[in-house]
Amino acid sequence: MSSRRSPRMAFILPLAAFLVFAGFAAAALFATLRGERDIAQLPSAMLGKPAPVTQLADLQSPAATVSVAQFAGAPLLVNFYASWCAPCRAEAPALALLAKDITILGIAYKDNPADTARFLDDYGNPFIATGIDRDGTTGISWGLYGVPETYLLDSEGIIRLRHAGPIDRRVLNEIIMPAIGEMSAIGEKSAIGGKPAIGGKPAIGGKPAIGGKPAIGGKPAIGGKK
Amino acid sequence: MRGQPSLKTGTTKLTRFGAMLSRMAFLVIIPAFTAMIYAAAIQPALAVSPEEMLADPVLEDRARALSKELRCLVCQNQSIDDSDAELARDLRVDVRKRLSEGASDDEILTAISEVYGDYVLLRPPFSPRTYVLWATPLVIILLGGALIISTRRRTIISKTNDAPANPPTNPPVDKAEISTPPSAAPRSSAQKSSGDNRLAGALLCLIVAVSLVIYLMVGRADLGDAPLADRSDEIAAAAAASQKTEAGLNAALQTAREAVADDPDNVGKWLQLAMRAAAAADTDTEISALTQAEKMTAGDPAIKSLLAEALSRGADGQVTIPARRLIADALTANPNQPRALFLAGLAAYQDEEFARAVAIWQQLQTISSADAPWIDLLAENIADAAAAGGIDLAQDTAESGQVRGPDSTDIAAAAQMSDEDRTTMIAGMVDGLAARLAEDPSNAEGWQRLARAYQVLGNPVDAQRALIGAADAMAAKIQNTALTRTAIMADISALEHMVTHNLEADFADDATRLMLRLEQLGENRPELLYLQGHFAKLAGDIETARQRWNELLKRLPEGVPAASRLRKEITDL
Repeated sequence: MSSRRSPRMAFILPLAAFLVFAGFAAAALFATLRGERDIAQLPSAMLGKPAPVTQLADLQSPAATVSVAQFAGAPLLVNFYASWCAPCRAEAPALALLAKDITILGIAYKDNPADTARFLDDYGNPFIATGIDRDGTTGISWGLYGVPETYLLDSEGIIRLRHAGPIDRRVLNEIIMPAIGEMSAIGEKSAIGGKPAIGGKPAIGGKPAIGGKPAIGGKPAIGGKK
Repeated sequence: MRGQPSLKTGTTKLTRFGAMLSRMAFLVIIPAFTAMIYAAAIQPALAVSPEEMLADPVLEDRARALSKELRCLVCQNQSIDDSDAELARDLRVDVRKRLSEGASDDEILTAISEVYGDYVLLRPPFSPRTYVLWATPLVIILLGGALIISTRRRTIISKTNDAPANPPTNPPVDKAEISTPPSAAPRSSAQKSSGDNRLAGALLCLIVAVSLVIYLMVGRADLGDAPLADRSDEIAAAAAASQKTEAGLNAALQTAREAVADDPDNVGKWLQLAMRAAAAADTDTEISALTQAEKMTAGDPAIKSLLAEALSRGADGQVTIPARRLIADALTANPNQPRALFLAGLAAYQDEEFARAVAIWQQLQTISSADAPWIDLLAENIADAAAAGGIDLAQDTAESGQVRGPDSTDIAAAAQMSDEDRTTMIAGMVDGLAARLAEDPSNAEGWQRLARAYQVLGNPVDAQRALIGAADAMAAKIQNTALTRTAIMADISALEHMVTHNLEADFADDATRLMLRLEQLGENRPELLYLQGHFAKLAGDIETARQRWNELLKRLPEGVPAASRLRKEITDL
């Protein structure tokens, strides 16, 4: 009996193993195709860790410095951007909206301060201040691998969220806003002084978000550029 | 005693396998070795630039070694030692900085992986998170080995059971034996179960079927030969053509640049430069040319809109803040500027204010003529926005009291229903629209929608009626507006539909009427010539048909497919 079964098992076992593997691969592929899985998003090792100590020259008044620590006590959004980065232009309207709800600290990554200033004139300045990271070392200390990149810090300065790539409407509604909402809910309970992040106001993220937005020419805008 | 023969066979096989492997390994190792010598002789271009290097050669060696361990997060299959990405350079500098501060190799790798995660390490660490990763190959090898040994053993056992008088006697390992087939694989049919047979049969059938399909698709004998060598001309031609196109675009751009330099006060030249730059995908030039043109025309709304569009295209299609300012300005100056309206709708859409987006785009739809090039895109976008915002377009328009029929929005929505539901839905809307048009036949756009709906429903006769209705409505409009061209197009498309669906006989009166009107309106358009020939032929007037078509043939450029088709039709007369 056993001698009859074993050759069959020898055939079926590897086949089953292969099918399981193929199933996982297919699931990953379809998740990518449907846009649920973004291969451009690398796992971040900084989540749950305190933000790196960051003290940079202030763009508005180069003699002064601006630091992440000075905004402790309330949630903070840290946005790395640069005037040379096209997706940063694209996310400017989203940041302008976010600025109504949360303090945003900008960090100009490897950018000429004059260009940065012009960029802010052209595309709006949603930032409470902009630090100048001329040589990109601050970026490296945050684990940055491209601009724009956005980090959400809780009131104790712990990194709670990191998003690489531009913030479009989908990212705003499905990722950033829920994270801010969640944090403010916790913040209300513990009430760690400072300014209340979002006073109970529902985040914009109530609406069902959709996939690609039609850009000019009907094509969906491309997100996640590096 | 029983285990021994099998063990012996196993050993023999392994030894033989080993001998074979060592021969094959030789074949692999020699080229690999040669390649290594070459690689050592011809150093690849280094990503590391001299100014990054450390003065101390020992530290520099350690830096290079560490750089090979670290993944570049931009070019993710390269180490930072290989990558030319700016981030890789920064990380190389960071590694060297830490080295000169006296950090150990491990400290540096740990520090960087704490920020960038294990992903940055090209050699993943052996940690609880990676046990599975490291153990899998080992487990597979062990399992496979166990499987092979146990199958072998069973085979031998059953063989000894089947033929006890003939115990396997394997001579000691001998090189000569390599040439003889190994113990003639004892596979008696008794071992195979019928299930095995079926599985194997099914697999075989599958392989044969797949091969057959592939053969029928690409390998059939009646398909022409297509060896790659013969196609090199074709490939080169395609490459040359695309290069030529690009060169042409760039040359045109250059000409436009020179034209602007010669005559910098001419707005037209600047606009042309912008157009050429857009064609060559040079957004920066396009933006600066449009900015100049905008200044020179003191903020012409059309140019402002063009500039807004160029700015948005430069930002991955997102309507940026400066673009929004321009759009607002343009719409203040001219509330019906189509491009500005389109972009305003898009901005609202990107803000997820779908109701506003739909409203703006619908406004654009009402002011656009029915054959505006953006009509289809617009309808698509409205459908999109309505779907995203959960807006019921049909109800929306019923309230506003406009005459609207099923447009592409509804048809797109219908595509997702079951066939029955879809037919019912479209039929319902079509009846409503037809009734409204019967009351008010002057609505050309309504007729066109109706025609499209009938086409979707597969009803060419009613579509024909609607197209004639549209043509008549258009013709009626000419009296007060300069819509001659649109009217001509409506007449032509109604007649073309008639010809392609063989409906000339059913609509003979309408055809005569439309032809007559077209002759009055048309300034001798090629379509008219064709139609005149066609209807003359139908009426039996071969002479007129030949004369019209010959005239048309003269006007067609040589070599277009239409010309050869027409020539054939003339000979067939």
